[in-house]
Amino acid sequence: MMNLNSSIWELAESYLAGSMAADEKKLLSEKLESDTDFAEEFSECVDLLKSVTNSGKLHNFRNMIGEIHKDQSVKPARKLMNKIIALPPLFWRTTAVAACVALITSSITYWSITPSIKKNDSQYNKISREVEHIKTGLKNNTADIESIKKSANTQPVQPASQAKFTGTGFALTNDGYFVTAWHVVNQGNFDSVYIQNNEGLYYKAVLVSHDDKADIAIMKVDKKNFRFGKSDLPYTIAKSKALLGARIFTIGYPNNDEVYAEGYISSRNGFEGDNLQYTLDLPAAHGQSGSPVVDAKGNIIGILTAVGSPGEANTYAVSTTALYDLIKESPAIAKVHQHRNNRLSWLGREQQIEKMEDYTFSVKVYKK
Amino acid sequence: MRNLAWKKYDPGKLGYFFPNPVLMMLNKVITDQQLLVALAMGDRKATSEIYKKNYPVVKGWIIKSGGTEADCADIFQEALVVLFSKAQDENFRLSCAVGTYLFAVSKHFWFKKMQKSSRDPSFSMEDMGNLETAISGVESDLNAHYEREEHFELLNSALDQVGEPCRSLLRAFYHQDKSMQEISAAFGYTNAENAKTQKYKCLNRLKKIFFNMQAK
Repeated sequence: MMNLNSSIWELAESYLAGSMAADEKKLLSEKLESDTDFAEEFSECVDLLKSVTNSGKLHNFRNMIGEIHKDQSVKPARKLMNKIIALPPLFWRTTAVAACVALITSSITYWSITPSIKKNDSQYNKISREVEHIKTGLKNNTADIESIKKSANTQPVQPASQAKFTGTGFALTNDGYFVTAWHVVNQGNFDSVYIQNNEGLYYKAVLVSHDDKADIAIMKVDKKNFRFGKSDLPYTIAKSKALLGARIFTIGYPNNDEVYAEGYISSRNGFEGDNLQYTLDLPAAHGQSGSPVVDAKGNIIGILTAVGSPGEANTYAVSTTALYDLIKESPAIAKVHQHRNNRLSWLGREQQIEKMEDYTFSVKVYKK
Repeated sequence: MRNLAWKKYDPGKLGYFFPNPVLMMLNKVITDQQLLVALAMGDRKATSEIYKKNYPVVKGWIIKSGGTEADCADIFQEALVVLFSKAQDENFRLSCAVGTYLFAVSKHFWFKKMQKSSRDPSFSMEDMGNLETAISGVESDLNAHYEREEHFELLNSALDQVGEPCRSLLRAFYHQDKSMQEISAAFGYTNAENAKTQKYKCLNRLKKIFFNMQAK
């Protein structure tokens, strides 16, 4: 039933695998007992099969561990990168101390550096505060002026309507008396007179006294504690008549801008031999009426009043002697007028004009 | 006696809540044994696990002793082969942890390599490696290993002498785990039965050569 010679390998294989049926096993063992040659060959076959199988297994195993080695020698690098190494508890205290030291050091550094930064900052603040101070100073000034205006009168600061007539005036005293030409004010029935100083601020004025013949009006700014400028008048007002040929200049407001003009006294008498007047060679325009005529040393010698007919080029000014006459007639003014000092005499023209700016102004007359 | 606890030990539960050193060791031995069974069957995952766990220690030691990275791989793999071969025996029993065993075997191989490369006759295995070898009882395993290696070497040279169709056929079947169907297709046999007959013929030839070589 079994071709034993041809299938001795088959027998050995199934014997090794343990897949032999019970009767086959029995047959095989009987054969092995009876046939010693067969038994020897069979054992040789089994041995060889075992060896070959084991050698194959080992071969595969070697291959496998070779592959595993390759896999794992690649892995560790990746593993190392992701690995977070925990700090051993042994070093916790040391680390805490180091961290504290670092914290203290960095805070000290921070605090020692930031004050200097702050210093710079405060310097910047100072600068800006100074600027702000100036600003607020300006604001305060304007606020003061505003409040002054409000307390001075209940009238609007800027007159609502356009001025009918304008002229120029100059301060007689620092506390509000000023001089202008009577004809500027006396245009029919005037409603109100305002002065506008070179800062553009308006003040209401009231008539104090006037000389119709000499064409002089003394007025007063209708405001308590009013001052034209910070200091007393820089100029003096001449009590005697100036000499012929004296160099003179004037500052006036023919329009809203201050205008300077200069000339000389061309005649000690005025229009038609009026000895209260001067004849001046001085360009003048309408609106300059009431302007002070100042000599080179800062004495006001006259008040501009009129220009001659076209082509004549003469300008006429009222002598300040007429002004003094008027002052004498009004004791209230005479009492106030104390001024004697001239601070313009040694100054150059520019400085003279600059000093006078606060004390000369536009006079605006409004009508109903 | 308070051995009641570990007699009832359930590694899944108790070990987790009560990390008792004794229980942990027990646990380790159990898992080692499981790993070794898997290793004997050529399970890749288990082998990889053992490799990963134990290679760094052996590598560190060999490099410290003056070896190269290639030496480490060769020696550790050889040690793994020893373990694998030993695990083939169903009744095998490891007297120590897998790591200790592999380390001892690796040390032995390292010293052997040193001895081979060293011209100094005074360099002795006994001085250095044998203490561990004796302790872990790997000596007999190593002897068996060398014997086996010799045997397989002989078999391989016999296989080289069987001539061409047979050599490839036997290698394909035993080394590459190819089925008879695959082999018949690859070698041009009409069916698996013919291939099988051819395989037996080849085995006959191999047997003749191999036993002749052994007799010499």
